[in-house]
Amino acid sequence: MSDHDKIYSSKLQDKVERSTVLMFVLTAIAVAIGGIVEIVPLFYLPNTAVIGGNGTYNGTAHKDSKGNVISMDKIVWNPVTSEHKTLEDWRPGDGVRPYKPLELAGRAVYIREGCYLCHSQMIRPFRDEKDRYGHYSIAEESMYDHTYQWGSKRTGPDLARVGAKYSDEWHRRHMKYPRDVVPESVMPNYYWLEKNKVNVAENIQTMKVMTMMPFNPVPKTIYTDAYINDAKAQLEDKTELDALIAYLQGLGNHIKFEEGVNYRD
Amino acid sequence: MSEKHDVSGVPTTGHVWDEDLADLTNQPPKWWMLGLTASALFVVVYCIYYPAIPLMSTFTEGIGGWTAIKEMETDKGEVDAVRGKFEAKLKDMTPAAILADSELTEYVTRSGKVLFGDNCAACHGQNGAGTKDKEGFFAPILNDDVWLYGGTINHLYEGIVGGRQSMMMANKDILSADEIDTLANAIAKSQPNSTPLFAEKGCTACHGEDGKGMQAMGSANLTDNIWRFDGSIEGIKRTINFGVNSGDPKARVAVMPSFKEAGKLSESEMKKLAVYVFKFGGGQADAPAEVAATPNPVTAK
Amino acid sequence: MEATKASPVKYDMEVVRWFTIAAAIYAVVGTLLGVWIAAELAWPFLNFDIPELTFGRLRPLHTNAVIFAFGGCVLMGTGFYMVQRTGATRLWSNGLAWFTFWGWNLIIVLAVITLPLGMTQGKEYAELAWPIDILIAVVWLSFGLNHIMTVAIRKTSHIYVSNWFTMAMIVMITYLHVVNSLAIPVSLTNSYSIYAGVQDAMIQWWWGHNAVGFFLTSGFLGIMYYFVPKQAGRPVYSYRLSVLHFWALTFGYVWLGAHHLQYTALPDWTGSLGAAVSLAMIIPSWGGAMNGMMTLSGAWDKLRTDYILRFLVVSLAFYAMSTFEGPVMSIKTVNALSHYTDWTIGHVHSGALGWVAMVSFGAMYHMVKKLWNTEMYSESLVNVHFWLSTIGTVVYIVSMWVSGIMQGLMWRDYDEYGTLTHTFVESVFEMHPYYAMRVIGGIIFHLGTWIALYNIVMTVRQARSARGVNAVPANA
Ligand code: HEC
Ligand code: HEC
Ligand code: HEC
Ligand code: HEM
Ligand code: HEM
Ligand SMILES: [Ca+2]
Ligand SMILES: [Ca+2]
Ligand SMILES: [Cu+2]
Repeated sequence: MSDHDKIYSSKLQDKVERSTVLMFVLTAIAVAIGGIVEIVPLFYLPNTAVIGGNGTYNGTAHKDSKGNVISMDKIVWNPVTSEHKTLEDWRPGDGVRPYKPLELAGRAVYIREGCYLCHSQMIRPFRDEKDRYGHYSIAEESMYDHTYQWGSKRTGPDLARVGAKYSDEWHRRHMKYPRDVVPESVMPNYYWLEKNKVNVAENIQTMKVMTMMPFNPVPKTIYTDAYINDAKAQLEDKTELDALIAYLQGLGNHIKFEEGVNYRD
Repeated sequence: MSEKHDVSGVPTTGHVWDEDLADLTNQPPKWWMLGLTASALFVVVYCIYYPAIPLMSTFTEGIGGWTAIKEMETDKGEVDAVRGKFEAKLKDMTPAAILADSELTEYVTRSGKVLFGDNCAACHGQNGAGTKDKEGFFAPILNDDVWLYGGTINHLYEGIVGGRQSMMMANKDILSADEIDTLANAIAKSQPNSTPLFAEKGCTACHGEDGKGMQAMGSANLTDNIWRFDGSIEGIKRTINFGVNSGDPKARVAVMPSFKEAGKLSESEMKKLAVYVFKFGGGQADAPAEVAATPNPVTAK
Repeated sequence: MEATKASPVKYDMEVVRWFTIAAAIYAVVGTLLGVWIAAELAWPFLNFDIPELTFGRLRPLHTNAVIFAFGGCVLMGTGFYMVQRTGATRLWSNGLAWFTFWGWNLIIVLAVITLPLGMTQGKEYAELAWPIDILIAVVWLSFGLNHIMTVAIRKTSHIYVSNWFTMAMIVMITYLHVVNSLAIPVSLTNSYSIYAGVQDAMIQWWWGHNAVGFFLTSGFLGIMYYFVPKQAGRPVYSYRLSVLHFWALTFGYVWLGAHHLQYTALPDWTGSLGAAVSLAMIIPSWGGAMNGMMTLSGAWDKLRTDYILRFLVVSLAFYAMSTFEGPVMSIKTVNALSHYTDWTIGHVHSGALGWVAMVSFGAMYHMVKKLWNTEMYSESLVNVHFWLSTIGTVVYIVSMWVSGIMQGLMWRDYDEYGTLTHTFVESVFEMHPYYAMRVIGGIIFHLGTWIALYNIVMTVRQARSARGVNAVPANA
């Protein structure tokens, strides 16, 4: 054995360094583990807002201050048990619901314009965020958000609970020319959204796709064929600005949060 | 082949790539090896202390008992200890009573700043100075003495709780262009009654015989040369033509959301805001009994 | 391994030359976009009310341009360069390498067209629409396959450490891209993630962090391990350190994604786990930084005259700094403050400008000299570029640190009455001078990229005119 064949690490390491296949396979295993450990449990553990195989939320149980379990129907809208049976009848506080057609169209605009790059939609459980924005966000609130919109930067304020905070007219003016109403704002002018009509065909298709999702699809009992069909009429002639405002006005008021409940347990 | 040696005389592993690439056989520094071991131990300790390991139906909760929610409760406890005594008092007091208590007023003006800035300034401007764009003022200026609905503390509180939404019909199909022209010119001079049209066409029903407005319905005073929307002739014509909240697409829109209905603010926060707005300087002492007794059009329904 | 000495090997270097030139161009474009969006945050009218130029649409173009266009071309160019030279062999397939080159550039062109038009999947660093995602997968695999097969046909007995890192990147990025991009299309340009809410967030940051960890770190550590010893003319300081920190990083980095989601609606355990491993990554990261730095022992004096080496060394310093800062930002109490603020942006750019861009420039200058078998057109311009990069980076990150921390403190400040002190809009207002300062830092850095491009182009022209267009030796 010549000197330079001496091994300065371990036999295994030396073998790995000599073999492309071994190197490849070992690396492929090493990099797979962390992701599996952190991701897979989020599909079966409670409190992750996944509709499990048995139609429940993997055993999620939020308890009030006395320790009583709060019915999930109060958190996620269930047309069967709710007194409001259709999306049109749904009222704030009835629980998390899928988006109405115009809101869904607005959400598409929100994603397209990259609003999530300046606005978060995730209120953390901190005293200051509670004072400023309201109750902390919970998993169920984004359960229908295919392509989540939590964001990672607050150039502008959090929008998780902006719904019903302002009037439609305010949003209209603010979205068109933010600095007209908030002189310090650095948000772009979006007046041109008023000139674009909502893409009806694509949004109808989006509704269909939402019912086909492998995880947390919108129940076909909510997006019924008839409902999707009727959506055309709701979208016809609406501008992208109308849609965006409908989306914003629906944010964050789905659940009626009660004091003293730990919604993350 | 020849083995490379470091200046310090350390040998290489003997492997050479691309003519001169080689690895020295130096050991990693001691502190680094220790650090690596410490890091691994750290992960273990951290994962025992904090909730960290997912299991089959639950996860390890950690011996420290930490949760994000508990952390929030603790932090909130700290500020609650400071503001708790004020908040406890506020809870059962009317806005008017708070206003009468100087210590509470001081507290409330402090805490009103961010409440107002984050919730109201978007429409009413920083410090209630109003926000104006091409379409005129968006919402009433709150730091002057002019009030559509009245400037007593109770009026203010009602407005915040119930919201405000005034109405004036569109006149474009009712009045001729000439008539509107005449009216607008009269109003622009702050003398609405300088034309008989003002009374004939029923404007006085809302704006009053004297044109000074009626607080019960939030109609504007047309004699004070202070403009809710836009005081130019063109601006006034627009208001007369299309009205306010009339449903016409070109109407002036004036909607103040009900902060109670939206569930955005607590009772106490709304009280604080009433006092805060009052303290901008335009607040009025309690009005005559009949005005105060007028039911608020929004909260009454 | 003796092969390298005995018979000079012919290499396939033309494709590397093209990747290098492309990288130099994309450095100019990507940082120009950075300057532009930075300026939009300071002076919002600068989008001129053109939808395609609004912040929300240009920002993804900036990140894609710097990470995938600039970073990607550097990684693929150096990847093909190093794998041949350290394996003493030609590429497994030169044709496939050209496919990779043109495919990657096609993707970049498509990105330039689609992102300003608002065709996005709305996931950071994975914005490109689903048909482009498929193209990315194909082109990425063509690069990966070629690289790994070239490793397989190497003439040396052992695989050089640079190639370990590059292989780890290839494998991990493949996993990430495929899993994170799974979506159902609604049209040719639009689609929605098959995951929602909590799961989508975790998968996005598993991707997002490891785009950093494997694309911007492992890949560039591979570059470091080749170009630092080459440029310094010294052996790598410690082989054992290479081994240990390689496996620690490769295994550990993957767990970090959850530090982007602390205190969000994910269960508490996920954030803690991410934070724990993040803190444990200081030492492995510093292993790499130190191995590079110590490689210079005995060659420190070269720094006075060798401007390329300066780029490499300073990049290692920034690498060490940002891999200390990152773990600190993973600590719960620190993240509570830093998350959502411009501190994160400062951290990003201390890594991106200080580490990724600087190590890239060092490698590019080194390669240009070898690839065209010449000296730089102007060494002093390299030095000017070095100073512009360093100063620009420092101005950028200092302004973001100061303002980011200020922002975080303003948001959570309570007065003596236990009530919030600042409105949100006040914080927006206070950011203005710092946003302006960042623009200045960005312009300084950006000027440097023009100088680099000019210097490289002039170097190539000088080499060509010296020898005639076709006289460049194939083995460089
Ligand atoms: C360049 C960054 C930026 C972009 C992009 C941006 N915003 Fe904003 N946004 C801001 C800032 C800063 C504010 C705070 C000042 C203000 O109210 O304008 C704000 C405020 C808001 C508000 C008011 C929130 C509140 O509670 O007061 C809404 C609603 C909003 N933005 C929606 C949007 C939507 C929808 C989009 C995308 C179409 C968008 N923003 C894009 C920066 C941005
Ligand atoms: C979406 C815009 C908007 C928001 C947000 C808003 N307001 Fe208003 N506010 C208005 C408009 C518009 C009017 C006038 C309504 C009318 O003319 O009938 C008004 C009227 C008022 C009035 C009556 C003024 C008068 O002259 O009588 C008060 C007091 C008031 N707002 C206070 C507040 C406070 C306090 C807040 C925050 C909690 C607030 N507003 C939030 C739009 C808004
Ligand atoms: C149904 C009640 C009603 C009638 C009738 C009515 N107005 Fe008004 N008018 C209002 C109200 C309420 C406002 C204030 C809206 C606000 O400030 O939010 C107003 C505002 C105005 C303003 C805007 C003042 C400013 O400060 O910008 C003008 C001008 C005006 N009215 C003119 C007229 C004229 C002229 C007529 C008759 C042709 C008339 N109004 C009839 C209710 C009425
Ligand atoms: C002239 C140089 C540059 C300037 C002026 C610049 C400017 C910017 C700006 C203004 C943002 C948006 C920040 C925000 O949303 O508030 C940004 C984001 C980003 N930039 Fe740069 N940039 C530059 C170079 C680079 C380079 C060379 C890289 C990578 C190699 C890079 C990587 C990124 C990344 C990853 C983000 C996203 C950060 C996040 O989402 O947290 N940038 N840049
Ligand atoms: C061990 C090393 C590192 C750790 C533990 C780490 C940790 C972090 C943390 C905690 C954040 C903030 C997440 C948030 O609050 O949103 C972050 C963001 C980021 N880091 Fe690092 N970092 C490391 C190294 C690096 C390096 C070397 C680079 C660049 C080359 C980098 C690029 C980024 C980017 C681009 C983001 C922004 C992500 C976003 O869009 O929000 N990081 N990192
Ligand atoms: Ca980000
Ligand atoms: Ca994509
Ligand atoms: Cu990260």
